[in-house]
Amino acid sequence: MRRTVTGLRAWLLQRISAIYMLLFIIFFLTHFLVESPDSYQAWHGWMMSSGVSIATLIFFAALMLHVWVGVRDVLMDYIHPLALRIFALTLLGIGLVAITAWVMRILLMEHS
Amino acid sequence: MKLSIFRFNPEQDEKPYMQDYEIELETTDQMLLDVIVRLKVQDDTLTFRRSCREGVCGSDAMNINGRNGLACITPVRALKEPIKLRPLPSFPVIRDLVVDMTQFFKQYHSINPYLINNEPAPERERLQSPEDREKLNGLYECILCGCCTSQCPSSWWNPDKFVGPAGLLQAYRFIIDSRDQATQERLDDLNDPYRLFRCRTIMNCTEVCPKGLAPSRAIEKIRLMMIKESL
Ligand code: SF4
Ligand code: SF4
Ligand code: FES
Repeated sequence: MRRTVTGLRAWLLQRISAIYMLLFIIFFLTHFLVESPDSYQAWHGWMMSSGVSIATLIFFAALMLHVWVGVRDVLMDYIHPLALRIFALTLLGIGLVAITAWVMRILLMEHS
Repeated sequence: MKLSIFRFNPEQDEKPYMQDYEIELETTDQMLLDVIVRLKVQDDTLTFRRSCREGVCGSDAMNINGRNGLACITPVRALKEPIKLRPLPSFPVIRDLVVDMTQFFKQYHSINPYLINNEPAPERERLQSPEDREKLNGLYECILCGCCTSQCPSSWWNPDKFVGPAGLLQAYRFIIDSRDQATQERLDDLNDPYRLFRCRTIMNCTEVCPKGLAPSRAIEKIRLMMIKESL
């Protein structure tokens, strides 16, 4: 890859994460339609099987990247003063990291 | 026929305003331009640009009932009255319907809109197969009227950094030209956060181009070439 790949890389990341999220949502919904779990235990067991929880983890990772690229794009459009933009991006970054930590906590803690 | 036209003379007016006009249609009035040329006889302070009056020079681009187009190829009878005429959105107004295209042409020049080929020129011309020539169709016809770029939201927000649909269409016109040798440099030049990637595929450009060209498709093709390059 070449020196300046921010533009293309961000764009590709946006498409790939979108495709993954779409597939995951379809997979998730189909599961509930086809063999909807009849109890909390059944649902919990399914969620915590390693395949599903890894897929869920990847889903949230994809979601965070998607939001990061997308919202950053919007901020680049509308917020031009550099200091203000850095501030907004920092807030966004902190928010996303916090949500990621929370998701990890739920998924990993439930496992142990 | 009723018209409502944007007026602004920076030497006299503090603020722009819309002025109403009324004029009898004559049988010779086919296109909108025919009517405004006759309006100028009524009111010679009314200012606009035009030259070829047949959709070739690109000078009479304006916003007609909210949509950019060339007055000279817009059938006047099909328009809803009062016909609202404004200068191209987001371009600085010089006077009335005349806008400053400096930024637009600066972006156009930034993509090096000429063939780059360092081999010595052959005696007559650089040849190209009919298939390769075919690839330039839908690209070379651009008359640089500015209708697309002026209607592109991404160009509104970052007119100084985003090349805009017109410039990108021309970038692709040279990227895809088999006689051009700077393909890689051209692709590299566009691969940054702003020059091409501000485009959100909103497709106003293609929707509005009076020559029926598709800048958004050219942009898509540049992206695909970049992807192939980076693999
Ligand atoms: S692409 Fe179409 S709208 Fe854009 S400058 Fe060229 S002719 Fe005008
Ligand atoms: S497709 Fe891209 S260039 Fe065309 S109007 Fe939309 S954002 Fe602008
Ligand atoms: S006057 Fe030349 S394009 Fe309309």
